[in-house]
Parts: sequence; C-alpha cells; structure tokens
Amino acid sequence: MRVHLVTMPWHPLDLPSLQLGLLNRIVRQARPADRVTEFHGSLRWAEFLLERSGGRLRPGDCVAVGSDGIFHGLGDWVFSGVLYDDPGWGLARLRDYAADRDVLIDTAVAMRPYAAEFVAACATEVLAAEPDVVGFTTTFMQNVPSLALARELKCRKPELTVVLGGGNCEGPMGHALHRNHPFVDHVVRGEAEYAFPALLRHLDEGTVPVDVPGLCWWDGHISRANTETRRTVAPADIPSPDYDQWQAALDASPVQEYVHPKLVVEGARGCWWGEKHHCTFCGLNGSAMAFRAKPGERLWEEIGRLVRRHRLLDVVTVDNIIDMAYFRDFLPRVAGSGWDLRLHYEVKSNLTPGQLRLLGESGTVHIQPGIESLGSRVLDLMDKGVTGARNVRTLRECENHALTCSWNLLYGFPGETADDYTPVIDQLPALVHLQPPSGAHRIQLERFSPHFTDPALGFGKRRPAELYQHVYDLPADELTDLVYLFDSEDAGITGPVEQWLKDAVAAWRAGHADSRLLFEEAGEELLVVDRRCGRPPATHRFTGWQAEALRRLEDGRTVPALHRLLAAGGHDVPADALDAWIRHALSLGLLFRDGLTYVSLPTWGEPVRLPEGAGAAG
Amino acid sequence: MSGLPTAVPHRLAGRRVEVPGLLDVGGQGRDTAEAVRFLRECAGLGLRVSWRAAGQPSYDARALRHLPPPDELPGDHEELAAWRSGYAHGALYHRRGPGFVTVMDRREPGTAARLTLDHPDLLAAFDLLLDPTPLDALDPTGREAAGLLAAERLALVTGGWAVALPPRIRRWPVPCTAI
Repeated sequence: MRVHLVTMPWHPLDLPSLQLGLLNRIVRQARPADRVTEFHGSLRWAEFLLERSGGRLRPGDCVAVGSDGIFHGLGDWVFSGVLYDDPGWGLARLRDYAADRDVLIDTAVAMRPYAAEFVAACATEVLAAEPDVVGFTTTFMQNVPSLALARELKCRKPELTVVLGGGNCEGPMGHALHRNHPFVDHVVRGEAEYAFPALLRHLDEGTVPVDVPGLCWWDGHISRANTETRRTVAPADIPSPDYDQWQAALDASPVQEYVHPKLVVEGARGCWWGEKHHCTFCGLNGSAMAFRAKPGERLWEEIGRLVRRHRLLDVVTVDNIIDMAYFRDFLPRVAGSGWDLRLHYEVKSNLTPGQLRLLGESGTVHIQPGIESLGSRVLDLMDKGVTGARNVRTLRECENHALTCSWNLLYGFPGETADDYTPVIDQLPALVHLQPPSGAHRIQLERFSPHFTDPALGFGKRRPAELYQHVYDLPADELTDLVYLFDSEDAGITGPVEQWLKDAVAAWRAGHADSRLLFEEAGEELLVVDRRCGRPPATHRFTGWQAEALRRLEDGRTVPALHRLLAAGGHDVPADALDAWIRHALSLGLLFRDGLTYVSLPTWGEPVRLPEGAGAAG
Repeated sequence: MSGLPTAVPHRLAGRRVEVPGLLDVGGQGRDTAEAVRFLRECAGLGLRVSWRAAGQPSYDARALRHLPPPDELPGDHEELAAWRSGYAHGALYHRRGPGFVTVMDRREPGTAARLTLDHPDLLAAFDLLLDPTPLDALDPTGREAAGLLAAERLALVTGGWAVALPPRIRRWPVPCTAI
C-alpha cells in the first residue's frame, strides 16, 4: 500500500511536523511493505507565495497569518474560498469582524487569490506519488486547507482513500468534520499509534473498520463514529520521529533561507498537574489527560540521534508540562553533553532556583511556565496550584539565570473581582525590570476545559466563536460540534479595571528594555541599584538585619516568618521596626506583596537583553 | 578566575570587563590575534567590555565589527561611529554539536546565514584557530582551511597569524530567540 502523509498550512515553517514524523515511523514499523511518502504543504505554500507574488508575500507573512492570526481564523479563511468554490466567500463577514476588533487582515486578504491555484498544484503533486491513502494531520488552522485539498483530491481520483487525524479531530470535532465533508473517508479521533495501522489493515483487506476505536467511517451515506477508547498509548509505543523527508523538502526549498529550522521532540503526553487539578480554562489535552513520559535516557537518545542526523542544535519540546523526573534523568545529561543546545520547554511555575539553574545550564533557556496571573485569588480560581508570590519569584529567577520566559496574563475568570486585581496592578510598575507578559488577554472558552464541560462554573451561555462565521459554511449546531473556541458572556473584570490592567501591562512592556533592579555586594553593604523606568535612578544601601531581611525575602515570606528567621540569625529586631522597614521597602518597590507574603524583587544578574523580534527572519 | 584569556590583562566586575592597556588592532602579528580572541570570548559570555584600540588595521576593519566596539579608536571618527552603530550582540557566533559546529552570521544587514562546519579538516582548523595561531605552525591542509575560513570571514588572517572570529555563545540573551 502507498501511504502519503500531508501537513498543510499553517504548520510552522521552522519546524518539522512531529505528527508526520511519528506517523511515518508507525506505518513503517507496523507495515514494512508499505511505501510512506510525505507532502510538506506548509513549506510549499510559503514557496508558492514567494514565487507567485514576486517576493511580496514572504515567509514572515505566513507566520503573521498562520500563527498570530489563530484567534481570528485568518489562516483557515484564506482557504475557505477554495473549499466553497467562491473566491469571495466570507470576505464581507471577515471585514466586519476585523473592523469590530481592530484586526489587521491585509496580508490574509492578499494571500487568498493564490489559494485555489495552490490547492490545485498540491493535488497534482500529491497524486503524482500515486498514493492509495492520503492521511492529513490537522491542528489549529489546518482544517480548511486540508479539507480544500481533500476535496480536490477526491474530485480527481474518487477511489483514493482520504483520512484526517490530529488535534482538531478529537471527540465530537472529528465526527462533525467527517459527517459534514463526504469527501473525507475516515477520521481518526485520538492518538493514532494503534488506530491508524488498524485502519490501514482494514483498507488492505476490504473490511469494515467497526473495531477501530474512535474511528469515523461511512456506512453508505451515514457517518458512523466508533466509540473512543479510554486506553492511552504507552510511552514505549510512541516512536521516535523520522524527519528525513522534511529535511529533504527543506533542503530543496528557497524558504530555508528565511527560517532557522529546529527539531521537535516529544517526551511526554498528557499533564500530571491536570490529572489532579485541571486548570479551569485549559482544553489542550483533549480527552487524554493521563500523563505518560518516556524515560529521560530515551528522550536524550532520541535528541542525540536527531541532532547528529540533522545537525541542528535548537530543540522544541511539545510536552504540555515537563516530567519532574527529567530534572534527574534528562536535564543533567543535556547539561553534561558539552553541546550548545537551545531547548524550549513548558514547565510548572513553582520550580526551585536550583531547578531553574539546571534548565539554564542544560540550554533549556526558553521556558513557558504557565504563569497566567500574579494574583493568588485568581490563581486559586483557575486551580493553578501556585501563588502570585511564587510566580513573581519565578520571573525574578528567570533574570538571574538568563532564561527567556514566555507568559500571558489572563483575566476574565468567573468569580474574580476588581479587588483581586487592584493590589496587583498597583505593583506592576515595580516589576518593570522582570520579563513582561505578551499581553493581558481575556480567557477564551475552550472545548475540553472545565469551563466548557461544566456550565455551572460560570460560562452557561456559549456559542461557537464568532470567527468561525468567516471560516465555515455550516449550520450552528454542526459548528457547535466542530469547533474548539466558543464565545460566552464576559466573566470577571470588565470596564475601567480591565482597561487599567491592559494599560499597566502595556506600560510594563514599554518600560522593560531599559529597566534594571540589581543587587550588588559592597563589603558589609548590600546595594540595590535601581534603574527602573518610571523612577528616578537610585542606589539603596542596606546593612545588618535589613540586608539580611532583603535576602531572606527572596524566597517569599510573611513578616512573622521573617521575624523568626532574623531572630534565629542573631538579629533581635523589634516587631514594629521590622513592620516599618517592610513598609519602607515596599514603598521603594523593592518588594512585591501578595496577601501576607513579601518577595524581594532585585536580581543578582542581568541577562543580555535584546529587542524582541531582533532575530526574526523575513 | 574570570575564565577569560590571560594574555590580555583585564579587570572583571560583575558583567563588566575593563582593559587598562591598549589593544593593538593593527594586524601586524600576535597582539592583534590575542586582542581578537579576548574580545571574542567576552562577547561569547555576554560581558560588557571597556577597551581602547591602538594601531591602524592593515586588513579590512569590518572583520571586527561583531566584537564589542572600543571606547577609543585612533584616527577616523567615522570608523568608530560605524562600529558602534553597527554592533549587535550575536551578529556572529558559533555553537558546538557532536562532530560539527554551526555558525550564525548576521553581519550583513537583513541577512541571516547559517553555516555548518562538519568537514573534518575545516573543523580541525577552526578548533585550532580558536587560539591565536602562527601560520607557520599550520600544515598545508591547515593553511588551506584557514584560507577558506578567512574567505568566509570566519577567521582573521593577518601579520602571519590567524584567529577564529565567531564567539562561542555561552550565555543566551533574553529573548534567546533574538539571535
């Protein structure tokens, strides 16, 4: 059997498709006689635009539409005109939508005229491989581009079998994708390691795939959806990805001059925190929350193999959360390798300074610690399992260890009030030397999240997000099953407090580049050199118990706990003197207050700071 | 122990380095190669360097523009101004992997060239030239490799000495994706 695997726009141009890399291995392991080929449609699209637009639409524009435009469905919209055979389909609705929300759509609109010809060219190229089965992987905005190509393929070669799988096919979304698109023969819902080879076996033998868990298939004109399995794929059965065909496609592409390719690896699936406390807003793990990790030694072997083969030192992990065992059996191996790797990892934000140091030493210098908020009550509402003080500590340690920290400030949680925000917003100017969030964003209602599955949590009224009106030509009830994002009534803060929060975050972002708050030791004195935006330059000098207090508060403590520690260290400080000093340090912006807990804000080191986007390729 | 080359006397305080003496960039021999190595290592560690230059480069002075600019440069003010305005941390650097070295070269505005050094002779020469090396000490293969590296502006070959130009990045900036 000839199996052709396809990843369409808007797969990131600098990354191989982990999904294709895994499927390639899975099929070849299960069915050695099959021929497996790949089509890297996202790369092709960037090439196509570059060439056809005479260099006007560049790979950077694909990032703008395909990554930055996710919450507006811009990438899907570019291809909706092909799917619905109408180049102008949805344009007026998109324009209205964009005008209401101040969204830039010029690039997406400029791309659309190229979409139909591109899909036709893709179909020609895919069919030239003479496949029996074409398998699409679809995540985020790959649905419409994939459907458009699937439709064209079936028009040209009806006997071809078209299969869809991937994150967009989980649960009811997969069934809706199937029943609304008769040119899609099968949808694999959930993990593919067991299901895809089982489907190929049925196709080979001409039998009905009633026993493939989760699979959608056609019973005449009726779309059947097999019950999904609760069984998850064991880590031992998750292969190491094969990126050879991606490398060949990239090597032959003019796009390679515009991108800095990175490897993608997978250490774990699921979320160990979510198994115990599902963060109320998060739908990322779909229906498979169970945490499963490859042993650190195996992950390191996989990375070593890929690094040697592709001669790339940048590694992105897709894990939703790092396995804490990796601090013992993976990161020390990376740190000891002597290779100058640069890794990206999602972590939990309550890491210790020692763990953050190990991340830095191992080259895991880009982390996403899921900070989400600096207010403890809001963090409680989202069941995040950390405090605001802890999050501020993590941000400070990122400066100490030169870790790049990607985070968002989320708001709009049911039950939150202005009182949860005002003490935090008041203190944001004191944090200006720490890495700011990408912005302050109202949470979205995501399928699979507790907010979605339990309307009693506060989002009782919901409808498919407005963006889908310019993406799909489907009735509301079908959209309700097909989409991932939903609109609901705003919860939590609104109006002036919301605006105040957004303004404060904007000021943080604007003032960060030139702001420093540094500890310096000078003999007996502890100096704090304050060069933060919005304050006059100052150098504060502390000695004795005050210097000790400032150091002790690096870990975050209450005043009574600090008092006990100082006493244990031989500092007999009157309680009122300590209170007065705390108030003084707080007024200087040297401490962050979270309820009864105080955290020191100065850092011991400063990273080399560069403007954001300085290294972006065209 | 600062970890910096001792051939150039210096003072290290925090993330700042001060070089009290003059660094000869004239390109007449070993001193320039040593100065380049010192500045290259400072750049790799992300240190701020205060130094003064002596000598008139006998080579294309643009070869040094990825290194921290001096406080003083003899002669042409425009030359120093161009160095300062064009200097960007991480404009040229290298990273080590198993059996290869990758080089990122953003010295030409608007470009970002990735090179992989994996030919054994080239890699051996690059490793050798991380320390200032007299050309006389190189065998014919090494000299040819040094010539290739110089042609790509990955080594400075002048005054009978050769030294590699790209710092090894030992401390990533924030954001680390900026370089």
